[in-house]
Amino acid sequence: MDYFLQQSLNALSVGGEYALLALGLAIVFSVIRLVNFAHGELIALGGYAMYLSVLFAAPPVYALIPICIFVAMLSAVCFERVAFRPVRNAPPTTGLLTAFGVSILVQNILVIFVATRPKPVPTPDWMGGTMSIGDLDVPVVQVLETIVTVVAITGLLLLLRKTQIGLAMRAAAKDFVTVRMMGVRANRVIMTAFAVSGLLAGIAAVFIISRRGAVDPFMGFIPVLKAFVACVLGGFGSLAGALVGGLVLGCAEVFLQVVLPSQVAGFRDAFVFLMVGLILVMKPEGLVGKKVELGDKDE
Amino acid sequence: MSYLLLSARRTVIPAIFLILCCVAVVLFGEGYHVRVAYMFFVNLVIVAGLQVFMGNSNVANLGHMSFAGIAAYAVAVLYTPTALKATLIPNAPFGLATIQLDFVTASVIALALTAVIGWLSGLALCRLSGVAATIGTLALLVIVHVVFVNWIDITRGPRAFFGIPVALGLPWAVGAAVLAIFVARWFRDSSDGLQLRASGDNLLAARSMGVNIQRVRLKAWVLSATIVGMGGVLFALFMGTIAPNSFYFTQTFLTIAMLILGGMRSVSGAITGTFIVAVGFEFVRTLENGPEILGVQLPTMFGLTGFFLGAIIVIFLALRPDGLLGTDEFEDHWAAFRQRLRARK
Repeated sequence: MDYFLQQSLNALSVGGEYALLALGLAIVFSVIRLVNFAHGELIALGGYAMYLSVLFAAPPVYALIPICIFVAMLSAVCFERVAFRPVRNAPPTTGLLTAFGVSILVQNILVIFVATRPKPVPTPDWMGGTMSIGDLDVPVVQVLETIVTVVAITGLLLLLRKTQIGLAMRAAAKDFVTVRMMGVRANRVIMTAFAVSGLLAGIAAVFIISRRGAVDPFMGFIPVLKAFVACVLGGFGSLAGALVGGLVLGCAEVFLQVVLPSQVAGFRDAFVFLMVGLILVMKPEGLVGKKVELGDKDE
Repeated sequence: MSYLLLSARRTVIPAIFLILCCVAVVLFGEGYHVRVAYMFFVNLVIVAGLQVFMGNSNVANLGHMSFAGIAAYAVAVLYTPTALKATLIPNAPFGLATIQLDFVTASVIALALTAVIGWLSGLALCRLSGVAATIGTLALLVIVHVVFVNWIDITRGPRAFFGIPVALGLPWAVGAAVLAIFVARWFRDSSDGLQLRASGDNLLAARSMGVNIQRVRLKAWVLSATIVGMGGVLFALFMGTIAPNSFYFTQTFLTIAMLILGGMRSVSGAITGTFIVAVGFEFVRTLENGPEILGVQLPTMFGLTGFFLGAIIVIFLALRPDGLLGTDEFEDHWAAFRQRLRARK
């Protein structure tokens, strides 16, 4: 029973991490139909901001967390301004290729100016410890990650439901042209979408780095690939879908890790991506999405 | 038949250029230059193959290198001497460790296998459009890579498959490149190619005109996979060593940058892009190693080549999304040039 509870918490925290990243991808996609593959580089840039500030300024360790989140947000907004704005009106595949270009560019800038090898980054000591809930010893990171994910998603919902810019973003996901005709500034809506995605990536970055204890230029690639899978599972561009997709993927991975025999464990990612292909072909609206025909009115 | 002749005539300009390149390298180049030139022709074959699907259908494809990988591993397994295979892959299934073919038969079987796998994957992928199609091809790349890394009995996994006898030289590579360019031109000029290009411009309009989009896409996809597979065979039979990472993201983005820079909508664009990026890439690679220029020792800067590729993709998509040539072929420019001369008289 204890083992089961422990693995469930593990699945929840991994799923929460994927959900944070997938939400960031989904919120950008819903507004401007851009598949932002450079999302992973936000994690790396946040991590390197932590590393560089330790190197040059040695701030107290807890101050590193807001630095990481702030830099991730700032980078997201910069990406939008510099790279994605010129291709905003191009077909979506152009944006996708641009995002890949940005991703390679940032990775190699980090290789050139810092190093290829991993660099250590400190995180607060208490994050690495374990705590007892009842008679269960669990890592603090996992509990914290689950709680923070819930808080972040609640915050996101409040932003989308209760503020004017949130309303504009939800409307833009349905029909950007009409939103602009209502006098809402397109740039501001898109900027906010990127800032929110950067914020979520920054939060995820703190947890990823506290687990690894080091940063390297290519660290963002695997998490973003997973987030990407989560988005496809949930139906691309749907926020609820990204959340569900992230949790399902987290649970599935932990489950497969426990169940699969070691000879086929290496093929796990092949199964995951085969599933992605099948969903794209058979059920492109995702696990939770509703099939929309041309001309359907949505409520 | 007339299309065949027309396409053949249109291949002449690039063919002459390629053969001149080859002759120059053979006459004046050293071993290192031959290697660089050979890789240029391999990349040219792959980019031409990529153009057949991506350029005509306007669907971004990230999965093409998996076909190069499949063909390369297939030819490696079939052509490597049995004595070597007994130590490299003693547990290979289907008795593959005990057979050895000559390189022509091995290549043909490898290409046939690639075409079959291309056809099977195409059945699913050609039903997708836009972003979903691109994600599907990405999934293909990851799946094939995972299989290469984990099917140790036949691929040796992440350790390289080495000891493939060197069977080909520069003339073969030039021949393959010319063939690839010819086939790409022939497909682009053919009726299927025209229908596919129409569907790339406007999917709904093409469909309403009676274009069977899945059928023409599937044709282009299988053809593209086979040509890219030819690039993989060339690679394996010259380098002698292949590893799963030879056919993964780095190579994918190198070839995509080549296609985007020249302009993916035309075969001439693919050739131009491959040439410019290949030359630029060699130049940047020299810089990366920290050369001494005019007595100044430059620092080594690892990552410069990747930076160069990323910059090409971002800058060209932002400023010139159609690439250098757009939808023009060489003979379009040649005709326009002649017209201007005539107008002056």
